[in-house]
Order: sequence, then structure tokens, then C-alpha cells
Amino acid sequence: MDGLLTGALYALIGMGLALIFGVMRIVNFAHGAFLMLGMYASWVLFDKYQVNPYLAFIPGGLFLFVFGYLVYQSLIRPIRNRSDFMQILMTTGISLILVDSVQLKFGADYHQTNIELVNRTLRVGSFTLNAASLLSFAIAGVLIIGLQQFVVRTRTGEALRAIAQNPSVAPLMGINVTRIQGFSFALGIMMAGIAGGLLLPALYLFPSVGEDYTLKAFVIVVLGGMGSIEGAAIGGLVLGVTESITSLYLGNEWALAVDFVLFLLVLSLKPSGIFGRQRA
Amino acid sequence: MRRLDDLFLLGKGDNMRSKIFAVWIAVSLVFSVAGVCQDTIKIGIVAPLTGSQAAFGEALKNGYVIALDEINAKGGVLGKKIELDIYDDQSKPEQAVQGVSKLVDHDHVPILLGSFSSESTMAMVPAVTQHQVPLIIPIALADNLLDSKSPWVFRVGASSADYARVTVAFLKDNGAPKTMAIVYENTNFGQSSMKAMTTAAQAAGIKLVAAESYEAKSPDYRAVLQRVKRANPEVIYFCSYLLDATTLMRQSQEIDLNPKYYTSAGTGFAIAEFPTSKGAGKNAEYTYAVMQWLPTARWAGSSQFDAEYFKRYNSHPTHHPMSAYAALQVAARAINSAKSTDSTKLRDAIRNTNLSMTPFGPIRFDLTGQNQHPLMITQVQGGQFRVVYPPDVAESKPIIPAPEWSKR
Repeated sequence: MDGLLTGALYALIGMGLALIFGVMRIVNFAHGAFLMLGMYASWVLFDKYQVNPYLAFIPGGLFLFVFGYLVYQSLIRPIRNRSDFMQILMTTGISLILVDSVQLKFGADYHQTNIELVNRTLRVGSFTLNAASLLSFAIAGVLIIGLQQFVVRTRTGEALRAIAQNPSVAPLMGINVTRIQGFSFALGIMMAGIAGGLLLPALYLFPSVGEDYTLKAFVIVVLGGMGSIEGAAIGGLVLGVTESITSLYLGNEWALAVDFVLFLLVLSLKPSGIFGRQRA
Repeated sequence: MRRLDDLFLLGKGDNMRSKIFAVWIAVSLVFSVAGVCQDTIKIGIVAPLTGSQAAFGEALKNGYVIALDEINAKGGVLGKKIELDIYDDQSKPEQAVQGVSKLVDHDHVPILLGSFSSESTMAMVPAVTQHQVPLIIPIALADNLLDSKSPWVFRVGASSADYARVTVAFLKDNGAPKTMAIVYENTNFGQSSMKAMTTAAQAAGIKLVAAESYEAKSPDYRAVLQRVKRANPEVIYFCSYLLDATTLMRQSQEIDLNPKYYTSAGTGFAIAEFPTSKGAGKNAEYTYAVMQWLPTARWAGSSQFDAEYFKRYNSHPTHHPMSAYAALQVAARAINSAKSTDSTKLRDAIRNTNLSMTPFGPIRFDLTGQNQHPLMITQVQGGQFRVVYPPDVAESKPIIPAPEWSKR
């Protein structure tokens, strides 16, 4: 059960990465760094203006959206048609700069937000649930469904899918590829930022907090089938539940190992992802 | 014409290569002579100023700087001022090794202090042994740091075996519980603490009913704690860095885990924020921590160090900066008594260190290089760390058992 709660946040992180990869074919190695930035945005609002982290993720997310768009225009756009290697270098570079800038500005100290809600537990029989995790889960759930519907139902979503399907034909159909790519990059970054904001009350904050989540995001995206947004959502849930079950029955030290065994199994046996269709 | 490629090939290029080699030797000689002729004495320090342990690196640095100013205000050593040459290992073991090479080969420091974590410090041990430079470890806990029996390695702070011993002694004198679970993070520090406690507990007839490791910095330890709950121990011994301690206590409350004793190997449970609202707050109540030093410690100079630290950094020091302060004091005294910066003479001077009273207590190294540092055990009572053991320095009586969560 706890696994599902964590899994929803993983899903949010994975969907952001899948969106960026799907629309741009760029593997964003800075994803964890953007998540970290979202956490800091929430924390600053909490620390300076006493904004509850469960509201702070909204302005935090918007900030990340704008920031993501600027990053796209200034840094990602020039290299979007260059080799994969260039893109890996660029996003890794962005990640390093973000982490070190945050450290310069806020120091390497650990921070946490201590809100009443985190210490509240709901008891249903012998079952206990953390109120804060439940709220995170609900918010993440709404966002996941929202994003999925957005991609399926709106015109912009349609354009997104068109580019994902065929980036060279899409512009011929009158789609402004640059604008849509910028938008989806910003959206993906926003998802990472919001996930960070929601993670903040349960975790604590330091500049390199995002590293593990970059790795996990890759696992999630691969589980769900590269570039598939729904797949990433399910992949996230699967990962959360797997980790939780592994920790309960094998011990926590196995959780990461099982994550990556799963990752390798999927890559070698069904590279299109557990739920993925083979791409043309 | 000699082609540039020849430089990289054997054969006719050999002549040129040897010339380059000669120039290189000459240049390095000039630099090493320059190193000797300075009017300050450099002390090499490796510390995690950035990366995941940067908060501790900063605290250690503060301790070193206070000791530095104090030593220089008294005229330095051998008539020269000392200078800190700090290498940031970024909380990474491979960088700590780089630091040893850089500080010894390039900066020619005669002595090294550092690093912070047992992981990084472990990596430095073979490196200093190979370079034949003495290393004074301020605080890293793991027992295996001194296992290599390297004559070059000394430790001012206590070891994880000392932590386990004092905890078991405390338990024996206070209710003598029969079962214990260990929850430890999967690092050199955690594993070493787990092994030390396993040995100490078995020797005292305490049965180990669970030993659970976890990956640090996760948001969710409920599964780990559930496994502990099923084993139903009287005592839990946590070996956890930093704010994982906060998460562990919060989730212990959540799953209603009720041992009689929440003990810990200090660290995350011993930092100043832990019992405050910035840390675990109310959930920290009744937890025990092994402490190496407190501002209220009985050793002369403790309260002055606390006051000086507070004046400079606006917070009260933990034992981390204190151990750094002590390590630099030991180094300075060794240089003075060796009347030299020769590494071998320094090593022997450190081995003969015999300080009956420092703010960190008496300092004297045994044959393995370990200082037998006296430890205390505190319990959080009313949001404060209160010393409850050993009895001769206790401020309060321990509250046993810790009340169940539902009755708090």
C-alpha cells in the first residue's frame, strides 16, 4: 500500500521524463536536478513565507515551467538535432550547474519542512496510512490523469503526439515544432518540480538529492516503454510497489538491486517495455 | 627534423624524451625546495566541503579554524605560523585518495587530518601508508579503519566498538533487556556499527532478533520497521546518519513500534537539531544516543570552546568540530615536540602524545593508534539531550521503558 503512495510520485517523475523523451528524443540527465529545484522552490516558500508545502508546489511548479521553457530556448534548442552524445553532455552539464548553483546559494546543509500533517496517521483497523503521503498520492493522481487526458484530448496534445510519431512530417502538417517542443520540455520539467514539491514533506533536502531520482526515472521510463506517457505512469506505480514488497520480504538493502534487475530484465527480454508496443 | 610523433615512440625519440624528463625533474625539484622554504607550516586536511556530507565538512572546518587561530595566537609551531591546506573530497572516497596525493606530492604537507565519513577515511588509510605520512582521524567511527595496523594512522574519536560497548554496559546496568534489533544504514559506518554491536550484545547475553540494513536517504522506511516490529525486540539500536533518524522515528510512531529502549550509535540521533522542531521534534523523546562530547562536558575548556564557536558561527557545536579541534591540537603539539616536520619523526611524536586534559578529554594513543576516548549516553528528555550514563557524570535518570506511542 505504501508502495502505491510512493509509486504515484515515481509515476509523476517518470511521465515528465517520458514526455521529454517522446517529443524530443532527448534523454534528460538533468531530470533529478529539476526535481531538486522543485523541492527548493517549495522549501523557500515554506521557510520564508510559511506556505504549506501542499500549496507551495503550485507556484513551485509554475516557476519550473517558466524556467524549463527558458532552458529549452537557450540551451536545448541549439542542440536538439545534434548527436545523442551532445545531448547527454548538455543535460549532464545542466544538472551539474543546477546542483552546484543551489549549493552556492543555499549551502550544502540539510533542510526539512516539519508540518503537522506528516506526523498524523490514519488508522483503519490494523492498517496505518500517513495522512501526508495520502494527500501527495491524491494530488499526484489528479495530475497524472490530467496530463494523460491533456495529451489525448486537446489540440496541443495531438500536436505533441504527432511530433512524437514523426518529427519530420509534423511540421509539414502545420505544427510549430519549436513551440511544441519548448512547451513539452517545460511541462516535463514542471512535472519533475511538482513531484519534488510533493516529496519534500516526506524527505529532506540537500543539493544532490535528485541524483537517485534521475536513475529511478530511467528505470520507470524503460519499464513503461520508452516515450510512452501512460506506460511511465504504470511503470512508476510498478516500481513503487516492487520496492515496497522487496523491502518488506527481502530487506531494504535489496530494493535498489531488484529495481535494476527488473530494469535489465525488461531491457533484454522486452525492450519496448512491459506495456509498450513495438515502435516502427 | 624531428617529428612531434617521435616524442611518443621509443627509438630515435629517446634523446628528446630524456631531455623532457630532465626538465620535468628540475622543475619539480625547484617546486619542492620552494615548499620547504616557506615561512608557514602547512597542515593537510581532507574534508567533505561539498556533496552529501557537506554539513559535517563545514562543522569540521569550523573546528579546525578555531584551533588554528588559537595555535597561531600563541605563536604557532617551531616559531612559524601554521596554515590549513584543505582539500575538498566532495564526500567521495576516490576524491579523498586524490586529496592525499595532491596534498602530499604537490603541496608537501608533513601531516594529514581527515576525512569525515568512515567510507572516505577508509580509502585514505592505504594511501597515507604508501606515502608514509601520518594521518590523524578526527571522528570516523568504523572499527576497520585501524584494522590494517598501519603505523601511520591515529584516531582521536571513539570507534564503533566503543559505542557498542558503552551502550551494552548502560543496558546491563539499567534493566538488562534480553532481546535487541539493529537497524543500520548500508555503509562502512553502518555495517561496522552493526558488527560491533552484534559482538558486544552476544558477549553480554543479549539475543539479536533482527538486523536490518537500509539504503540511506529514502523517504520510506516503513517496510524495514515492520520487519523489526514482527521480531518484537526490547531494544532497537539505530546506526543512522542525519535526517534519516528523523524519518525513522516518525515512521516508528506511524507503525506503532514500541520497544522499551530506542538506542542509537549517535550521529543522526546526536545532532543538535534532532530533538527540536527542525528535526524529529516530539518523536525524538526518550531516544538514547552515544555522545563523544557535549558543550557541558566536564573537561576543562569545553565551555570556552562552545562559547567561541557560538560567537563565530551562531550555533552550538557538536562533537564533530570538537574532534577536529582536538586533532589539529594533537598535530601542532607533535610538530613542536618532534622539533621537525619530518613525517617519521612526527609519527613517533604523535604516538607518544600524552595529554592529560584537553577540552575533548585526555588524549593518548594505544598500539593500534586509537585514543581511548571516554563516552557518554544521553536521553532526549523534554527536548533536551540529558546525560544519563555513566552515573558519575549523569544529569538525569533514564526513563525506562519509553512510553508506548498511544500513551504519549
